[in-house]
Amino acid sequence: MFQVLPGDPTRVLFVRGGCAGNSTIANAQCGLRAELIVQWGLDKPVAQRYVTYMANLLQGNLGTDITTKGYIGLPVTTIIAPRLVTTLELVGIATVVTMWLGLVLGRISGWRRGSKTDVVITMSTLLGYSMPSFWVSLILVFTFAFLVPIFPLLPPRPTPDTLTNIGNTLYHWTLPIVAFIITNVAWFSLTLRNSLTDVLPEEYMVTAAAKGLNEREQLRWHALPNARLPVVTASALYFGWVVSGVIVIETVFNINGFGALTWTATLNQDYPLMQAIFLIATIGVVVANAVADVLYLYLDPRVREA
Amino acid sequence: MILATREATPGSESYSLFRERLLLDLSRGKKMLLQILRNKLSLAGVVIILFFVCMALFATLLVGPYQSALNLASDNEPPSAQHLLGTDGTGHDILNLLVYGTQVDLIVGFAASLAAMILGTTVGLVAGYYGRVTDQVLSRMTDFFLVIPWLPFVLVLVSILEPSLATIVFAIALVSWPTTARVIRSQVLSLKERQFIERAKAVGAGRGYIIARHILPNVMPLVWAEAVLTVSGAIFTEAFLSFFGLGPPGVQTWGQMVNLAYNGGAMLSGQWWYFLPPGVCITTLVLGFALLGYGIEEVLNPALKRRGGAGA
Repeated sequence: MFQVLPGDPTRVLFVRGGCAGNSTIANAQCGLRAELIVQWGLDKPVAQRYVTYMANLLQGNLGTDITTKGYIGLPVTTIIAPRLVTTLELVGIATVVTMWLGLVLGRISGWRRGSKTDVVITMSTLLGYSMPSFWVSLILVFTFAFLVPIFPLLPPRPTPDTLTNIGNTLYHWTLPIVAFIITNVAWFSLTLRNSLTDVLPEEYMVTAAAKGLNEREQLRWHALPNARLPVVTASALYFGWVVSGVIVIETVFNINGFGALTWTATLNQDYPLMQAIFLIATIGVVVANAVADVLYLYLDPRVREA
Repeated sequence: MILATREATPGSESYSLFRERLLLDLSRGKKMLLQILRNKLSLAGVVIILFFVCMALFATLLVGPYQSALNLASDNEPPSAQHLLGTDGTGHDILNLLVYGTQVDLIVGFAASLAAMILGTTVGLVAGYYGRVTDQVLSRMTDFFLVIPWLPFVLVLVSILEPSLATIVFAIALVSWPTTARVIRSQVLSLKERQFIERAKAVGAGRGYIIARHILPNVMPLVWAEAVLTVSGAIFTEAFLSFFGLGPPGVQTWGQMVNLAYNGGAMLSGQWWYFLPPGVCITTLVLGFALLGYGIEEVLNPALKRRGGAGA
């Protein structure tokens, strides 16, 4: 898709206008550049390049890296795979914590809407949502790695002991996960709050109260099963944001993952790498959405009990 | 809601009708504006936006001319009477950069929002009114742009097209229109079943005419609410682009300031005055537009009122 756009990856390797002079170096550059253009197939029409790309894609070949230092010539998949694992672990942990916290906060503020607690929770989650994640990350680094240096900035050195490794990694990941929570918790807390607000005036809630159930039981058995559905729907958009958040957070906190790789690839105008990253990210989002759809069916009381 | 108006010449019967309608529209608009201002949250939004707009308009009066020359004699200075927010790594006064950054941020925000509104409203109108295959195709396209990871998309797009004000606005608009298209589409779906559309059809109005003269004026208030929310998103996205060094060239935006502070290691040398103020500005302005947007939505859709303002 990005192939259609103008832009020339060979430019990254050569000085702009390097071809113009008449010196030996300029001539050599010109020759090399022309050679590369042929080798990378950049001289072929877009349609033909697209067909080649799709044919390779079906065989699991996403192309080889062309411009990123240290990776040139390596298959894109081998560069991405280990980093994808790191990122999936990070995002997995962060999402579980964020979701749990968001649902707890949303339940409190939705049930007691209009109260002081509700105003505080709503405003602070909305504030967190409006803060750019890179800035939140910088503030966390400033506070907890400079003012009160209790968290490390650099990735931990590997040790022979696996358990220590896991511990070290989690320790290093604390701040990134906190940054993730601050900027994303509103997705879950605000959605649950709003859907609870819509559910609570319903007649079945009056019935539940009339049956003599206490608040806890009303919430657990009657309000939440209906109120959590919109949260599942909202998560469709959340997954798109996760990818964006992770690029920033990994870059700032030096985590060698998929997000940081996106940034490197963009800097180097590394077409095959960028294309593969974008493809995998989009597939990830689509799969996550499919899971959410299935979850919706499972959670919907009307469907489940029918 | 603003009603459709017809061409009218002074003196004719339709002219008085036209005048009557215009007055009605004006009074309704005034009422809506008052309602918006009565809401505490959207009032806060308006105050925030006005504050930044004034800052952008009176930049020269407030902090003098834009600093671009290097002044290495006074780099990385903490806040003082001379430099209220200190100086950056090249000796520029931070306050000066902040104020001038407002101009670019507002321009990008408004321009991207305008472009996104044009695209989103058109897609929403066409998809909603034409229905069938057109709707299917346009809606799938909307869904695609709605769920794609926006940051990598924008980063890649801008870096390939080369960063400039126009490409940044284009890229941001391209990821901002889908929400509007969806909102407008569902509104059109309910509008087109109304009687006045039926009547227009009966007197022989064509599709284009009905969309432009009957549907569009009725969805306009919604477009305004979406426009304000989109400005918020656009400023947010621009900050990310700038942080990754793909901001508009020539002027320092808030995101670029944070980027320079980050690259200069400001947070590890304790220069809080370097990276805190631009972030505060981004957050406040983004929040301001979001609050106003939610406020307008609430006035338009009274069902949301009991949610108490902060609907996501």
